[in-house]
Amino acid sequence: MDEKIAPHLEELTRALGDIDKTGIRAEFDKLLAFHVPPEVAKETILRKFGGKRKVLKVKDLSASLKNFEIIGRILDIGEKALRPQEGVQAGPSKLYTGVLADETGSVMFSSWKELPGSVGDVINIKNAYTRLWQNRIRLSIGEQSLVSKVSDSSIPQLSELSKTSAKKLIDIGAADFSVNTVACILRLSHREVPVRGKQSKVISGVLADETARLPFTAWVELPGIDIGSIIRIEGAQIRMFRGMPSINLISSTKVSSVGVEEAEKLAFTFESAAKDPALLKIEEIASKDSMFDVVAAGNVVSVRPGSGIISRCPECSRVVLKANCRVHGKVEGVRDMRIKAVLDDGTGAMSVMFPRELAEVIYGKTLEEAEQLMFSDISKDAVYEDLRRILTGRYLAVRGNSSNGEYGVSFVAESAWVPEDDLAVRVVELLRRLGLDEEYPGSGVSRGGISLA
Amino acid sequence: MLKREIAKRVFAKEFEACRELEKSERPASEADSKSPNLLISPLGLILNRVFAVGVLTELDSIGTQNEMWKARIVDPTGAFTVYAGQFQPDASIFFSTAQVPAFIALTGKARIYEPEPGSVFISIRAEEVNVVDEEIRNRWVVDTAEQTVDRLEVFSDALASGYRGETLREYLLERGVSEELAEGISIILERERAPQEFAKQLRASIREGLKALNFEAEDTAEAKADQKEFVLELLREMGGGKGVDYASFVNAAVSRGVPEEVVEEVVRSLLAGGQCYEPKIGIIRLVG
Repeated sequence: MDEKIAPHLEELTRALGDIDKTGIRAEFDKLLAFHVPPEVAKETILRKFGGKRKVLKVKDLSASLKNFEIIGRILDIGEKALRPQEGVQAGPSKLYTGVLADETGSVMFSSWKELPGSVGDVINIKNAYTRLWQNRIRLSIGEQSLVSKVSDSSIPQLSELSKTSAKKLIDIGAADFSVNTVACILRLSHREVPVRGKQSKVISGVLADETARLPFTAWVELPGIDIGSIIRIEGAQIRMFRGMPSINLISSTKVSSVGVEEAEKLAFTFESAAKDPALLKIEEIASKDSMFDVVAAGNVVSVRPGSGIISRCPECSRVVLKANCRVHGKVEGVRDMRIKAVLDDGTGAMSVMFPRELAEVIYGKTLEEAEQLMFSDISKDAVYEDLRRILTGRYLAVRGNSSNGEYGVSFVAESAWVPEDDLAVRVVELLRRLGLDEEYPGSGVSRGGISLA
Repeated sequence: MLKREIAKRVFAKEFEACRELEKSERPASEADSKSPNLLISPLGLILNRVFAVGVLTELDSIGTQNEMWKARIVDPTGAFTVYAGQFQPDASIFFSTAQVPAFIALTGKARIYEPEPGSVFISIRAEEVNVVDEEIRNRWVVDTAEQTVDRLEVFSDALASGYRGETLREYLLERGVSEELAEGISIILERERAPQEFAKQLRASIREGLKALNFEAEDTAEAKADQKEFVLELLREMGGGKGVDYASFVNAAVSRGVPEEVVEEVVRSLLAGGQCYEPKIGIIRLVG
């Protein structure tokens, strides 16, 4: 028997480390005890604990990742005692929480077991996972995770990591809780909102640098700062709002104007940052958790059900089905129109929502005209079918915000148009690129990789 | 999480030359039962769903017991074979009323059928199909050419590097090539005997295709608008709001000097534009 399983054990050890110590051996034996063939048991374990594990940096973390490896320095750690519920078998009774950092950022973590290290130590976590907790990413260390202390490592020292890192806007994400950045103000507006019964002033707007734009909110006054100002922000909070990071300037945040001399050294000016955003590939949009105010273009490869004329609850604007609102029960719905379409550019696909004003433009019919069509036809899906006939295959550019969730990227369009780039110019460029082979028949490809240079 | 498969842009010539990607060749995480059937092209493109725009040149009803349509859609490099049957109701309805020839756009899933070794049939099982205009077709050709040329350049680079297998994959990743393409190229270079030959042919095809594109559609736009107006007027006169029989409408138009192709084209664009529709096959009716 042992002879049969020995090679499998050896392979597991090679892939996963010391399997006796980590309880993997016990798990393997358990499967064998249930008469699972050793070959299958090995694969099950490899699948569970991941033979080919990805090593991630903090900045690569996104919600609901599984089975990855990460190395970081513990910045902070604390423990919480959990009282087991009555009648429930005693599970883990302590939860360890803290902050883990590497050179790319820091992330909050929670662990169900005691970690082999304290503040300042570098640890390696295998089979870690992430989840969203209070709208932000949390690194989770569970029963199946293997944690070891690393003595020698290239992770920067504690003093350096504890400083809040300066970040470009594009790198700010759900893993951040406090950031420093330099950006300019593109939009600004003042509002009064009730906070705990008191009217409070709040400033909201949009910040930009050469990499991206992000919304911000200030709960403090910003004297001398206006649209066009380039500011340095230190210790701003990151809040997640509808899947999008938003920079929150609070009383402990330091905001200062950037001087003319320093501003000249920046990679952006107000003019360059205020320009319309450049067209991105959908692949790039899909690689981020969320993006604010970006442009993409592609073909409408599908118009989704639920597009066309819909009915909304007059109280909460939720979509009403069969005159029933999820929250307010039977209501007299208000008619509205929207389009949900899949936009695909060959590098990625995303679901785009067009609200009424845009739906009317790209459909070419107003809500009233669409209603007439609905009433003049026997088919209850007349408008949806008409939309499919008009939109499927069409090429559109959209500008708006994206967020990446369980069902892929969803994009809310704020404007939409048919791009008018010159195909003839692109053809000339393509012919030039294709022509290289003819001009240099001896180079590269045609001689099987032997270069004549 | 099941993500939506991207609709790859690929020319018919490259698509036709695709072969099945064996499950054993994929990264372990993808090779489970839920993963789609993937094909791999001689240039290492891994694909399942495609988006194609071309000219519908042939349309046959081949079903005996159930409805089944077979269509040929031609692009500058070759032709796609497309099927739609009872499980693709939207596409079937489209084909049951489609006219040949027409510019059409479609998304669909790649299918491979290999009745015996050496004979392979690659086709698309249509998901959504629609009539489009020449501008959309031209743009598809340019978009597809750009993405194919990008791929060809990576492919040449991979060949020239002389690396194979895992080393090649890492080399490509380092050069900023996407994980999927790096994987695809390293798989295909293990398989293909004369990879550069296909690349050369494809380059030539694309070059010819691009040269043949006609960007001067605007000149004829005005004349078309007039004809459209006339046909629309005639349709109103014949009681289009209640619906008219298509065949007798064509006869009436022809008797007034409008060629049949023009009537077909106008009606198609009216259908595409949503100004009229077909409540039943063979009956057209104006909207509103």
